[in-house]
Amino acid sequence: MNILTVQDLCKTYGAGDTKVEALKNVSFAVSKGEFVSVIGPSGSGKSTLLNMIGALDYPTSGKVIIDGRDIYTMKEEELSVFRRRNIGFVFQAYNLVPELNVEENIALPILLDYKKPDQQYIDELLGILGLAERKRHLPGQLSGGQQQRVAIGRALAAKPAIILADEPTGNLDSKNSRDVINLLKLSVERYRQTLIMITHNQSYASFADRVLSVEDGVVAELGGGAR
Amino acid sequence: MNGYLDLAHKYQAAHKKRTRLSIFSIVLSVALVVGIFSMLDVFLKFEKIQVINDYGNYHLLVNNATDGEKEAISSRIDVKNTGTLVAFKSGSINGNQCDIVALSDNFAANMSMNLIKGNYPEAENEMMIENWAAEKLGAGIGDTVSFAFADETERPFVISGIFADYGGTKATGEPGVAVSMEAAAKASVEKTGIFLIEFKEQANIKKAEQEIKESLGISDERMGRNDRLLAVIGQSDHKAAVGLYQAGAILFFIVLVAGVVMIYNTFNISVMDRMRSFGLLRCVGASKAQIRRLVKKEGFLLLRWAIPGGVLLGMAATLFCCALLKFYNSYIFSEIPLFTISPTGILAGVALGVLTVAIATLLPAKKASRVSPVNAVTGNSEIRVRKVQQAGILTKLLPVESAMGIGSAAARKKTLVLMSASIALSIMMFLGFNVFVDFLHTSLKTTKPYTPDISLTSEESLSPDLYSQLSHLPGIKHVYGRMFGYVSATFDASRLTEEYVNEVGSIEVNAGGLFEAPEKSWLISYDKNQLKWAKTDLVEGELSEDTLNAQDGIIAVLQNIRKGVSVRTAELHVGDKVYIDTVAGKKPFTVMAVLRTVPFADSNLNLATFITTEKQYTAITGDSTLKIIDIQLEKNGQEETVSEIKRMIGSNITYLDSRQKNSEMNQTFFTMAVFVYGFVVVIALISILNIVSTMNTSVTSKMRYLGVLRAVGMSGKQLNRMITAEASAYCITGAVAGCILGILLQKALITQLLTSLKIVWVFPLVQIVCVFAAALLATRLSVIGPLKKIKAKSISENIGSLQ
Repeated sequence: MNILTVQDLCKTYGAGDTKVEALKNVSFAVSKGEFVSVIGPSGSGKSTLLNMIGALDYPTSGKVIIDGRDIYTMKEEELSVFRRRNIGFVFQAYNLVPELNVEENIALPILLDYKKPDQQYIDELLGILGLAERKRHLPGQLSGGQQQRVAIGRALAAKPAIILADEPTGNLDSKNSRDVINLLKLSVERYRQTLIMITHNQSYASFADRVLSVEDGVVAELGGGAR
Repeated sequence: MNGYLDLAHKYQAAHKKRTRLSIFSIVLSVALVVGIFSMLDVFLKFEKIQVINDYGNYHLLVNNATDGEKEAISSRIDVKNTGTLVAFKSGSINGNQCDIVALSDNFAANMSMNLIKGNYPEAENEMMIENWAAEKLGAGIGDTVSFAFADETERPFVISGIFADYGGTKATGEPGVAVSMEAAAKASVEKTGIFLIEFKEQANIKKAEQEIKESLGISDERMGRNDRLLAVIGQSDHKAAVGLYQAGAILFFIVLVAGVVMIYNTFNISVMDRMRSFGLLRCVGASKAQIRRLVKKEGFLLLRWAIPGGVLLGMAATLFCCALLKFYNSYIFSEIPLFTISPTGILAGVALGVLTVAIATLLPAKKASRVSPVNAVTGNSEIRVRKVQQAGILTKLLPVESAMGIGSAAARKKTLVLMSASIALSIMMFLGFNVFVDFLHTSLKTTKPYTPDISLTSEESLSPDLYSQLSHLPGIKHVYGRMFGYVSATFDASRLTEEYVNEVGSIEVNAGGLFEAPEKSWLISYDKNQLKWAKTDLVEGELSEDTLNAQDGIIAVLQNIRKGVSVRTAELHVGDKVYIDTVAGKKPFTVMAVLRTVPFADSNLNLATFITTEKQYTAITGDSTLKIIDIQLEKNGQEETVSEIKRMIGSNITYLDSRQKNSEMNQTFFTMAVFVYGFVVVIALISILNIVSTMNTSVTSKMRYLGVLRAVGMSGKQLNRMITAEASAYCITGAVAGCILGILLQKALITQLLTSLKIVWVFPLVQIVCVFAAALLATRLSVIGPLKKIKAKSISENIGSLQ
């Protein structure tokens, strides 16, 4: 079953001389539980693609269907709710809420949904992420690797349909990077999550089930990873 | 680029919006200072004219000066004008009681005795009279009238001139008469000669007074001062005036602080936002000193536009106040040009503007220079929270978005303190100034709802027909009648004031503690409306017609009118018994309310003043006819209505016109209120703009973070709530702090300064509600712009934005 379907997605910035085609008729599908990595040089359109899938920006034309819903037909409010329930983000710069502690940051998507977090699940996540000791710490008191693990926890908290990660290891050293990738992979398998991850690092890309390459706004399938 | 300092230009050109906001806040601070100084300057000009109009344009006076003394004083180099005023006891003109003075020709204008037509009286049998009196007496220039001084010997006098109306005499119905100096000199009746002195603008009056006293050997008792005028021109050492000067100094200090706080806040935020870029500059080799210079340069670049703008705005505010006052009374303020430029105000504004920017940039500049290059490049330093651990209580109590909003306000302690302080400051000033306006409101009685424009009185009684005719006359807003009479009343002797006992001499007290009333008391009847209006003067008890009737109640008045002078003769309280000789014998009444004052004058020697209902009044005196009818007129077409009323009344009814006096008093109140509230408005505006700019910068600096929140699933509505919660945190903290401090200040001011006037402190509920309404409004206003800014961009753009 396809959890994500992208159809003829186009994105154009500017007009006339400054016109840039960031994405050109991109189409592909991802099925549930798949780990897809996206590689490509800077400026190739990787991030634009991820933003489109996460409904952080609107395409010039084309469709993105997640879990059977065409996300661009939804209104702003509806989309926000959809996003917090169905899409989890992991950014390169962690982007945690500085005033909230680790536990609150992880539970944020659930809190935003006005629901009571399932404490057992949150504790389990904290355990897996190795943050149980630090659940009352603020992001400013954590190392980069720890912060990124909190961000992964946040992405997993609402048990979303799909997790989008934009260079999650970009700011980390190699040890922490490996930890983060392992954690991502572990959670994909454990919770049967779908993950789309942008990376610069070929070796991390090889952890994935499939690898997509983006070049000049065109997406091509590179086939399965090394596994 | 010619040098690294050009970065400041580049930065400002690249961030037009933020630059504009910074300029705007400096403009306001400068405008505030220019406005306050110019307003004060103009206010003093206006107030001087007002005081001169009300009290006369003289600085010092000498009682019963000899010719030698007059000569010596007049020839002083610092004296501008002198004149003699001779005051007499009341006399009569064509059988009507009148006020008599004589005044030197050259000093008439100083005392607002302005000749309208004819000539100034010179010959022994010449006089001039007020315009309204001339009309009333039907006398014109050249006519002969029968005139008598207090000795009641009638003499023929010729009217040589007519001068402009005085509000006071017009309201009491006693015409003002000025006889010639010649006549005054010849008159062999009791008279007081007062030598009035007006000094030149720059004269040191205190010193001059000392010199005059010493060189001429004039005793302190013979010298008098026009304290109000001296206070306005800053030459008074009167206690009240010195207090005012001190209050003024404190206010200026507050303004200065408000200005510095505001500019500092703007700069601080702008620098905090750019920690990263300063760090990058340090990375590429900028020294700490260079960063400091850069920030300072930025500050002074802003001044280039902000100072002229602020000066113009401040002048505009002053212009507005002037225009308002001139519009309100074009006659008395006609001499003041509409467009008043106050060099003091402008200079002060410019100087303080530069100074505040210097102070306000100093700290941020230092902070910017301290940014470590490492910090800048590692990123992720948008907001630092220093608290060691957070228990996460807020998110458990409140919806998460509100908790986050409040949390982010609480995390930036300095901004929170500055913001709340600036809001609290303006609220405190508002509540504090309110006391002064209240005080003016109470002390100038015409501003009250029951003040009549016109009163009709009669020795006999006024017919009910006249009352109903007047009620139906077009152009009349309200008609209300009163009965009044004089009754013998007594109460516990211990309630009499020492002042009264001393004045009367001895008081006989009987076994029950009651005294034998040496004088009669004034008894007035109020109808339902008048009782309702009297609430503004209520000191204790309650005013209810039904209870007063049912339980034999009576209302005591603190300020008793004795022969037209208000004196406190007794301190009655609710529950005290008052025994009144009624037509049915002596009867006890219970005091159910105490009023501060009544808005009427009376010429009898009254022991005390009491108010009762119409029903009770008739029961006490057996009389049920109105003695006085008060009329309030509609704003338009007053003259027609007035002539209609005059036509309706017979010769046995006295017509008293209080309109001019009322408007003069209102005027004094209004002049003060315009400036006092003008000041508060500007301060409040500063606070509001301060919070607007804080919210704006706060949101701008968190664009990326807000984008992330939206990516995580925060909806537009939640975003609104979060930003509003942040703004509310500033506003509410400020409002609560301001209200608490303001209430304390108000209470302190009232108990310290105004208890003697029997003004009691009541919880300022209306003001507090207003303050909170304004705070909420400011909150809403401050989030509109920032929210628009976020929503205009897509989420990915927000996340991508580093600046």
